Amino acid sequence: MNTRSIRFRLIVWHAGLLIALFLCFGLATYAGVKFHLVRNLADSQFRRARQIGATLLKDIDKTGEAYVAEEINTRYAPEINARFVRITRGDGRIVYSSGKPKDLSFDPASLAPLTNPPDQPSTRQEKLSDGNTLLVAIVPSVSDASNRFYVEVGAPLEPVQAVLNKLLFWLALGLPFIVAVAVGGGHVLVTRALAPVEIIGRKAEQISLRNLSERLPVVPTGDELERLSIAVNHMITRLDEAFQHNRRFMADASHELRTPLTVIRGELEATAQQARLPSDLRDTIGSVLEEVERLAGIVECLFALAKLEAGDAQAKWAQFDLAKLATTTAEQMCLLAEDKGISISCDAPRAISVEGDSARLKQVVVNLLDNAIKYTPPGGMVNLSVAESNANAVLEVADNGIGIPATDQPHLFERFFRVDKARSRDLGGAGLGLAIVKSICTAHGGQVAVQSIEGHGSRFKVELPLARGTNSKSNHG
Amino acid sequence: MRLLLIEDEKKVAEFVARGLKAERFAVDVAYDGQSGLNMATNCNYDLIVLDLMLPVLSGAEVLKRIRRQNTSVPVLILTARDAMTEKVEHFEAGADDYLTKPFAFAELLVRTKALLRRGAVNRASVLRVADLELDRLTQQVRRAGKRILLTSKEYSLLEYLLANAGRVLSRTMIIEHVWDESFEGLTNIVDVYVRHLRSKVDDLHSVKLIRTVRGVGYTLSDETLA
Repeated sequence: MNTRSIRFRLIVWHAGLLIALFLCFGLATYAGVKFHLVRNLADSQFRRARQIGATLLKDIDKTGEAYVAEEINTRYAPEINARFVRITRGDGRIVYSSGKPKDLSFDPASLAPLTNPPDQPSTRQEKLSDGNTLLVAIVPSVSDASNRFYVEVGAPLEPVQAVLNKLLFWLALGLPFIVAVAVGGGHVLVTRALAPVEIIGRKAEQISLRNLSERLPVVPTGDELERLSIAVNHMITRLDEAFQHNRRFMADASHELRTPLTVIRGELEATAQQARLPSDLRDTIGSVLEEVERLAGIVECLFALAKLEAGDAQAKWAQFDLAKLATTTAEQMCLLAEDKGISISCDAPRAISVEGDSARLKQVVVNLLDNAIKYTPPGGMVNLSVAESNANAVLEVADNGIGIPATDQPHLFERFFRVDKARSRDLGGAGLGLAIVKSICTAHGGQVAVQSIEGHGSRFKVELPLARGTNSKSNHG
Repeated sequence: MRLLLIEDEKKVAEFVARGLKAERFAVDVAYDGQSGLNMATNCNYDLIVLDLMLPVLSGAEVLKRIRRQNTSVPVLILTARDAMTEKVEHFEAGADDYLTKPFAFAELLVRTKALLRRGAVNRASVLRVADLELDRLTQQVRRAGKRILLTSKEYSLLEYLLANAGRVLSRTMIIEHVWDESFEGLTNIVDVYVRHLRSKVDDLHSVKLIRTVRGVGYTLSDETLA
């Protein structure tokens, strides 16, 4: 799963927020319920303690302690109700203490006798040695004869804890459910929200330089996505216009440049044909004609480059064998190398299928081999190889010629760049050959790179994607 | 032989017409598409040389209308646009041949003559200039009766020169004919092959048949150029 996708991030945020919300809600509920339950329990203990003080202890001097104990046992039945009742005199003597409750939920004997009694009614939680906690309310009380008593009434916290545990159980049970709902719901929501984006993306991917007249579908929902597709469509329209403008400009520029060249060439040729021409003038005209041809070549190259950048190479797209193309081209250029005393070898043992314009890719091989031959001194070697590597077709042209200075290598594929200006001009170069190589490679979704050590040779490496559906195993032979 | 030249660039029209007249063709010139079309429909021409970028009516439109009425007249297209991708379109529209500007006049002439003679191109099985002879059936070349061994490219080059003996062939024409369009701009390959061919054909003989016409190209003939 792509953890950087909007889908993933939205679902995580959605689920995270829901879970955090649920945890807060659970925590608040738990705390609130606990607070109220404990307070309720404390209140009822206070009420009883005050009742005992007001009804029984008021007259204790007249009725006697035994009567009070009797009354508490009958009226409140602490053992049956699982309550703790203890009455302590101001001097610390215990007047009454309830016994073990019937359900044995706590042992009153483990409670320490009352020391430091408070002046005001208060509660305290008493941890018993048997693990139970008793919530005890203490109320000071004064009899008619001004004797001080402390009434303690307590109840175990266990039932409260039981309720809280139950609540916790249900909350815990709810959590995975909430997580499932959050992730599932988030997934559905995000998928529904992103479906149009997916469609827009797929469609936009299909629109290339070949079909710039196509547009994205616009669903008139009035939402942000409608606005997005309209905006993208506007952008494609502007691109389309720009490209059309560019094409028109090139056609016009081409016409404007070529027409005067045609005239110059035609007139000069006609003049050169004249029989009575002095030979030095014939030579001059020939020299000018050579320059006209060179200028025409440069114009040709510049338009080839401009057209490649406008996506024109895709007109003659087909699948073909790059190894065969390289081999035949090398054979055709063999004499050019032999003429300079350079040996040329070709290493392309198996068919490598690529897709593209074979005439243009042949030009890549021609230009690279031509360069290698030009810049390798007699006795040198040029090697051409075609192989398959990492799902790419790799064509390499290596020589052991004069090489390229490291400082010039980054500019090598720029237009009109020449390493040794005087020298390459003598060899007839305009500095466009490698720019064309690069443009053709780019137009084919490939790339070209150079490795070179000055004085030791250069190695040009062209990488092109293999033809789709090519199984490397089926290519043997 | 009557030719119609439809070309709006006056200077281009001028030198082409002059050159063609020098070759003893009758040449009419039209400077825009509409008048060109009118002339083409009113008169029977043996060949029409048509520029593609024309005022009033575009060259493509002219070609389409000419083809609607007269399907047999050969049409040679002149184009200032890069022909590589448009070539197929021209042929589909009914053009018989095309030339990209700036073209060598020699090339225009060769193509014009080829179109006019269609089928009657030099198909002789033995091509002969002076004491050099090339047998197309056995693919053997002899000079003064002595067999000369050539590689297949050298053979194609010599055959092309011999078939057009006496005419100047530009390097571009030679490349297109003997190699293919990928080698355009690589004109030194022609020079290398011509040099090799010379060493085999001319070096041992006092009469040199292969000549360089500076700035234009090569020619093979036994007449000495003035």
